[in-house]
Amino acid sequence: MTPEYRTVLIELLYQLADDNFILAYRGSEWLGLTPHIEEDVAFSSINQNAMGHAAIYYQMLEDLGEGKSDDLAHLRAPAAFRNAVLLELKNGPGNYWDAPDYDWAFAVVRHFFFDVFKSIRLNALKKSGYPPLAAAAGKIVTEQAYHLMHWETWFVQLMMSTDEARRRMEKALSLCWADAGGLLSLGKWGAVMAEHGLTATEAEWRDQWRQAIGQSFARVGYVPIGEPGMAHGDGRNGEHTADLGEALSILSEVYRSDPQATGW
Amino acid sequence: MTDSVHRFYEEYEVFSRKKGDLPLEHRFSLLAPNMEMAMILAKENFFRREPVADLWIVKRSDIRKMTQSEREAFGRLEKPYRETRGYGDLNERWRAFKARAGESGDAGP
Repeated sequence: MTPEYRTVLIELLYQLADDNFILAYRGSEWLGLTPHIEEDVAFSSINQNAMGHAAIYYQMLEDLGEGKSDDLAHLRAPAAFRNAVLLELKNGPGNYWDAPDYDWAFAVVRHFFFDVFKSIRLNALKKSGYPPLAAAAGKIVTEQAYHLMHWETWFVQLMMSTDEARRRMEKALSLCWADAGGLLSLGKWGAVMAEHGLTATEAEWRDQWRQAIGQSFARVGYVPIGEPGMAHGDGRNGEHTADLGEALSILSEVYRSDPQATGW
Repeated sequence: MTDSVHRFYEEYEVFSRKKGDLPLEHRFSLLAPNMEMAMILAKENFFRREPVADLWIVKRSDIRKMTQSEREAFGRLEKPYRETRGYGDLNERWRAFKARAGESGDAGP
């Protein structure tokens, strides 16, 4: 393994781990707040799956000598995170413990955008030249079809529902579209990752994502304005919003205050 | 829940088969606004930890259930000759029949 190969492999693994980690956290903040209890159970289960996927990637980073996987999740500075900015944004005004006024339309569109992308990325990674990554992708992809089906059902139904639902969904769509480009980015090392055969190229999965999302948009008669953007910067290069720092300080509070408490 | 929420969500009954050749079993009920939503929610609410080969979703209001008067009307007298247990003494009867036939000089079938 050349130093360059190792560097870009680690960058890629952080993108994969951090995407799943932070969105699973945002999803877990919805616990008890979704439209009804059956959805609460289904959504929680999906979040647990995604957290499990993050754990697989953090373990691969531990195996490469990056440190303990729990430390990687809890103790890194926000600038060390490589998740797409779209996935770190708050669910809405308030906090889960204090006057949450979360936006379900935003949750549906964000998860739908991500899971369409995640499916494309996993299928590409099954052919990764790094065997542990190819094996992990093959394992994770088995849970992905249901996640996608779940969010696609919500997306289509809310888009085709009442005028109010449509208005709220279109608002969420423009918010997510403005940062969807950050999902598709591979960051500054992207070209090198593809050269080493670790991933498909950024252009390849951008085209696949645009095509898949375009088909869903056609089903519900929606036309986006312009191309997916990176309004809040490219998280793959360590650019993040204050929302990420706040989330990390909340989720790591127990871990930082008492390592014994999490020793199990 | 308010009345309008109750009208929006409906009760669905969930049936499943563990394997393709096993009979369909009633498993659970859930609330959902429509059938497609009921399907995706049934999957993750009830089959996170066990395999499922087939899943049927039925709106509870579409099921013709039995009424109390029907429950009473469907009562019946015991008729053992309509059940297997009414024929438990067949061998014994057959022996007795053969014995009687032997006495009269007719060997029977």
